[in-house]
Amino acid sequence: MRRYYPLIIALLFAPVYLLCLSTLGPLRKAEQQSAGYSYTLPGPIAKIATLDYDGLAADYLMLNIQSYYGGTFERTERPRVKEAEWRWMYDVLTVSSDLDPYFFDPYYFANSFFTWDAQMVKETNILLAKGNHFRDWDWLPSFYMGFNEFYFLHDNAKASEYLMQSSKKPGATAILASLATRLAYKASRTEVAIMFLQQTIEGTKDKVEREALEKRLKTLQRIFFLENAVAAYKTKLGTVPGSLKDLIDQGLVKRIPTDPYGGVFFIDKDGVVKTTSDLR
Amino acid sequence: MVKPLFPIAVITFKEGIRNRAIYGISILALFMMLINFLICQMVMRDVGKVAMDIALSTVSFTGLLLVFFVGINLMAKDLDKKTIYMVLARPVSRAQYMVGKFFGMVALIVASNLIQGSFAVVSLFILQRMYANYFLRFSWLMFFLALLFIVLMLILLTALSFLFASFSSTSFIVLVLTIVSYIIGNSLSDVKALVEAPQSVGIHPSPITVKIVQAAYYLFPNLSFFDIKTQAANGLAVSLSCVGWTMLYGFAYTAVALSLACFIFSKREFP
Repeated sequence: MRRYYPLIIALLFAPVYLLCLSTLGPLRKAEQQSAGYSYTLPGPIAKIATLDYDGLAADYLMLNIQSYYGGTFERTERPRVKEAEWRWMYDVLTVSSDLDPYFFDPYYFANSFFTWDAQMVKETNILLAKGNHFRDWDWLPSFYMGFNEFYFLHDNAKASEYLMQSSKKPGATAILASLATRLAYKASRTEVAIMFLQQTIEGTKDKVEREALEKRLKTLQRIFFLENAVAAYKTKLGTVPGSLKDLIDQGLVKRIPTDPYGGVFFIDKDGVVKTTSDLR
Repeated sequence: MVKPLFPIAVITFKEGIRNRAIYGISILALFMMLINFLICQMVMRDVGKVAMDIALSTVSFTGLLLVFFVGINLMAKDLDKKTIYMVLARPVSRAQYMVGKFFGMVALIVASNLIQGSFAVVSLFILQRMYANYFLRFSWLMFFLALLFIVLMLILLTALSFLFASFSSTSFIVLVLTIVSYIIGNSLSDVKALVEAPQSVGIHPSPITVKIVQAAYYLFPNLSFFDIKTQAANGLAVSLSCVGWTMLYGFAYTAVALSLACFIFSKREFP
């Protein structure tokens, strides 16, 4: 009998262990949600602290942000991501790009999500300028900066300057040439955004990020579809439609598409197609 | 003069290979290579960079474990178990003993890096086939150069641990001193840059701190010279003169540390 004592003790403590595990897991998770985004080590200090593994640390921080951002998709509250969280994510990405300024993913992530979702366009362009400086062979950072200047900051002169810079680098695709001409002719901003998004999605590997971008693309395509109908209405009747229903009445569209973000499309008093979700 | 070195080196190498720690280290390396596949699935764009980071960091980290836990023990065991008397009773000088041990350890580092390097090559090779579009700036030449630099760094660190072993009585002190030197050696150039231009993070170091850091800069090895993982991962070029000077630097520091170790060891009194 005696030789089984250790086994009995082990069996007694096994449920305690499992109980602790199942309690502590959610407990820690709940704590993390309140204190997860609080402090970020400044870049120069992080560089010292990570010894010769700074590249690895940059990768780690990037993955951390990716999974944090991915986790926010499970939330039901609106806005999904709080402003302080965006700030924190931006700070972490800055540190990641301090640790390895050649690493492309922080720039890519910032450009994909900080501009549209967080409306931190100026900050994104500061980060992208760093990427553009270090990745001097890469046409993408200046391409992104040019687009942000055009689409969000409405600075066409700066936009074409960046796009010109980008087009001179190896690998820059034909899209740049057509973008530049369209900028000159003041094409619809939606159309340019669609071209830009298609370009961005092309190289995206991660499933969650890809789905988020494709959702945005789909919405923009629907807005573009409605914009075209509004333009047709204008040429036909000489005025701006009062509501989207007018488009159906005139037989220009069969039905109003739905907003993948759950909002409702509408026309403002200037005849611009918008959505109540604001693509967020 | 050189003749007795060879048998000591061979014995040291064999002893190191027989050490179970080396299996553990190899398993760790294998494990991290497998994790490389998992992590690369999650990376958004720069897969080649992350894959190279993980591969090289694994090799460098397991190499460090080898130096810290196998290398230091090889030296200390002879002193602890008094087997050193058997060696020194033979017509072998203490300096010869030291240098022989060192070369055995160098052979061990090279062998273990070959094993771990081949793990890294396999994982990178497969990942390159899987995500060919994201490996555009990948260069095998830079990978092997980074690997060579890691080996040089480990050899330098070994020489330094021999210097510490030459005067300290227990292996634990040698271990602590070596780890501290490694940490200082890697952060030194960053710290020096920081205390000389402290505005970037808003700190105010005292003039004495600045002097101490500057003194340490000359005393401790600057291991960040050997760290070209970032360049390798991002496919950046390293100039030929930079490679040459770094190799010379490693060689010179190793020679100085080992010679000092031999000198101190030959003066040492054994109980």
